Amino acid sequence: MASSSTPTTISFLSRKNRFRLFGLTLDDCIRTFFGGNALISVVVLALITFFLFKEGAHFFAQNDRNLRIYRQAGLEYVDFIRTQSDDHTALTRSLSDLRVRTLNELTQKQNRPLAEANAALAGFDAFAGQFSDAVDPLRSLVSDLTEQATEIKTKFIVAGDKQEERNQLLAAGKTAEAGRVQIAVINFQEELKPLLATLPAYREANQAFATQLKAVMATAPTLPTPELQGRMDKFKAHTRDYLATFPAVEHKLETWDYLKPVPFWQAFTAFIFGREWLTASFWQDWYGVIPLFVGSLMVSLVALLLAVPLGVGAAIYVNQIASLGEQRFIKPCIEFISAIPSVVLGFFGIAVLGQALRALSQFTWLSWVPGFPFSERLNILTAGCLLALLAVPTIFTLAEDALNNVPRAFKEASFALGANRLQTIIQIIVPASLSGIISAILLGLGRVIGETMVVLLCAGNRIAIPDFTAGLGVVTQPVHTMTGIIAQEMGEVVRGSIHYRALFMVGLVLFFLSLGINYLAQRIVRRYRLSIG
Amino acid sequence: MVIADPLSMDTRSSVPTPRPTMGTSSLATAGDSSAPASEILIDIEHLDFFYGASQALHDITLQVEAKKATALIGPSGCGKSTLLRCLNRMNDLIDGTRIGRGTIKIRDVEINGRDIDVIELRKRVGMVFQKSNPFPKSIYENITYGLRLQGVKTKAQLDEVVERSLRAAALWDEVKDRLHASGLGLSGGQQQRLCIARAIAVEPEIILMDEPCSALDPIATAKVEELIHELKTNFTIVIVTHNMQQAARCSDRTAFFYMGRLVEYAETRTIFMNPGNPQTEAYVSGRFG
Repeated sequence: MASSSTPTTISFLSRKNRFRLFGLTLDDCIRTFFGGNALISVVVLALITFFLFKEGAHFFAQNDRNLRIYRQAGLEYVDFIRTQSDDHTALTRSLSDLRVRTLNELTQKQNRPLAEANAALAGFDAFAGQFSDAVDPLRSLVSDLTEQATEIKTKFIVAGDKQEERNQLLAAGKTAEAGRVQIAVINFQEELKPLLATLPAYREANQAFATQLKAVMATAPTLPTPELQGRMDKFKAHTRDYLATFPAVEHKLETWDYLKPVPFWQAFTAFIFGREWLTASFWQDWYGVIPLFVGSLMVSLVALLLAVPLGVGAAIYVNQIASLGEQRFIKPCIEFISAIPSVVLGFFGIAVLGQALRALSQFTWLSWVPGFPFSERLNILTAGCLLALLAVPTIFTLAEDALNNVPRAFKEASFALGANRLQTIIQIIVPASLSGIISAILLGLGRVIGETMVVLLCAGNRIAIPDFTAGLGVVTQPVHTMTGIIAQEMGEVVRGSIHYRALFMVGLVLFFLSLGINYLAQRIVRRYRLSIG
Repeated sequence: MVIADPLSMDTRSSVPTPRPTMGTSSLATAGDSSAPASEILIDIEHLDFFYGASQALHDITLQVEAKKATALIGPSGCGKSTLLRCLNRMNDLIDGTRIGRGTIKIRDVEINGRDIDVIELRKRVGMVFQKSNPFPKSIYENITYGLRLQGVKTKAQLDEVVERSLRAAALWDEVKDRLHASGLGLSGGQQQRLCIARAIAVEPEIILMDEPCSALDPIATAKVEELIHELKTNFTIVIVTHNMQQAARCSDRTAFFYMGRLVEYAETRTIFMNPGNPQTEAYVSGRFG
């Protein structure tokens, strides 16, 4: 019918002149533009992930080599003895701690003059001195062995460098020069001989050490109060346990073999479960993520403990209780916190908060607070307080959204049944929005764990697992964090070195942690939507 | 467009009701002996009500009798829901509402008085909403919510109330095997009956129903209407409805509202068969609204 009608209709339809750019219609252009934007973000994410993996993956091979040389050059052997000596040092330290406590007891509680108190402690000092000197033969042995092992390691590294040089020359096609590079072949067995030959000397030194310790322990003084004496008894018990480990150490030394293969997974476990992050050391570098991980976790935990009540509480107030005027004031205020640059918060933390917290901890009437008094003004608590401030807007905004999504009908039904405001909030509103609130908290955690500047400036940056025996007081100790270490060390490392790769691995751990947290939060939110229907 | 003949409407309404004769007869007796038998439970006098600056109710005077169902009808926005929500002070939850003039007395007590405990009032005046709104909790917890608020903890007592309320709401047989399943898993009609059971559980004197059937299908509506008939023996019911057949079927007295004013208030039979006001007649016969 249409074809039989006048041709003007057809020309009217087909005459429409479409705008074209590179052969694309306007519709296609719009599609390409917006689609391209989305594509770029996806590609960038993929690239970042790929880059992290690529740089990080080499870490394992390098760490494997690192661990192998540790064994082959005899460093491991020496470390058995060094650990034994270090354990003794720890005991000595607890002894001096005991002395400080006793002195405090005598001067402050019993009001004796300092000179007299020191005189009363003369017996204790003699005991402590003997105890600490007992290790001397062992220690001198360790220092001799350290030199020998370091020498072997250096030789190995030099050989490795030469090998590298030759490879580079060969790659550049300079065969003649490559042939001239001398590579010393290291015979570990020969090199280790003098080291292993010290075993009888060790046995002798160890024997003398044990005898000396036992003799000294018999002269242990009694302390003035039951509490202090209890500590002394504990110290004695520790020393006994310590002495009991001697045969095991000796056995380890006897059976040690430099040829024992290093299992391939150790390069991985040494990173994931490694309790030491030690770099640029003359002896042996360790790349264990645990101290950093624990540091990040502790700081985030403190931050969440503070931010969750503040954020969720404020959200409940604004959503359920506040008048319209209050809402208009509070909401922008809290959201404004996230506009503060974190480096400025860091300044504030160093200059004001850290100082103030330390000053607060010095008050004697606050000494019951675990960890008080403390002397490090940059610590978990300071960083945690500031991070809490950063997490509050995230938690507040998302929790408020979740509360807002609770149907008004629930609230009305609850009131109609004779509930008061508090009962309605606690029994109806919060349970109905719980998954939303939990995901808000998780996203707050994600925000906190990825934060760098504040922790770098305020966490104290001591790379060590905090001493959890202090109980809650652990929060007054300085730590280093995963984000902080990357920011701090990335600028100084040699590109391609094991240290460089290790930092990428830390980045990967962070990446997966954030990924996990975000995934969990989204899953919870999705389930929540289903349950409300 | 249905122009309903009030008489035929009445006969139709008696079909789904199990006791059609009883319904009409009670209506008739109530009309006959209204003077001595009926007791005035709610007494509203000259009530003006405002949302901010706009006045929603103008000089409402209305008496609700005890153990009767009173229907409030009228076109959308005429103020019938507002009046209903005045009776348990649910309007307190909305910012900017106030009562300009007039009193609402329940058992001769002014409920807007300063010394009135709103919580106590709402325990005595229960409410069922337009959209069924069970809490996202189990059926059992939904019903015991009000009692737990009042501090009832013994399991035997709670169990007993749950069964009694569910039986009263004609829901017991349908849910007795899944009392601890979520209330949101029920069908729309069951959810609304659960809400009624929840309101009954705290043993109020008055039950306010705000268009309880507007979101339900005809079968579920019939069940709820049947329920209203039964509840009348123990509770005083005030029901807001858009559905005139429903008002005719289940109420004893009907009040017609228009533009925030009470136009006519009389026996349901009178309103539908012999309305005194031309506006009422136009509305019930479907000519506007």
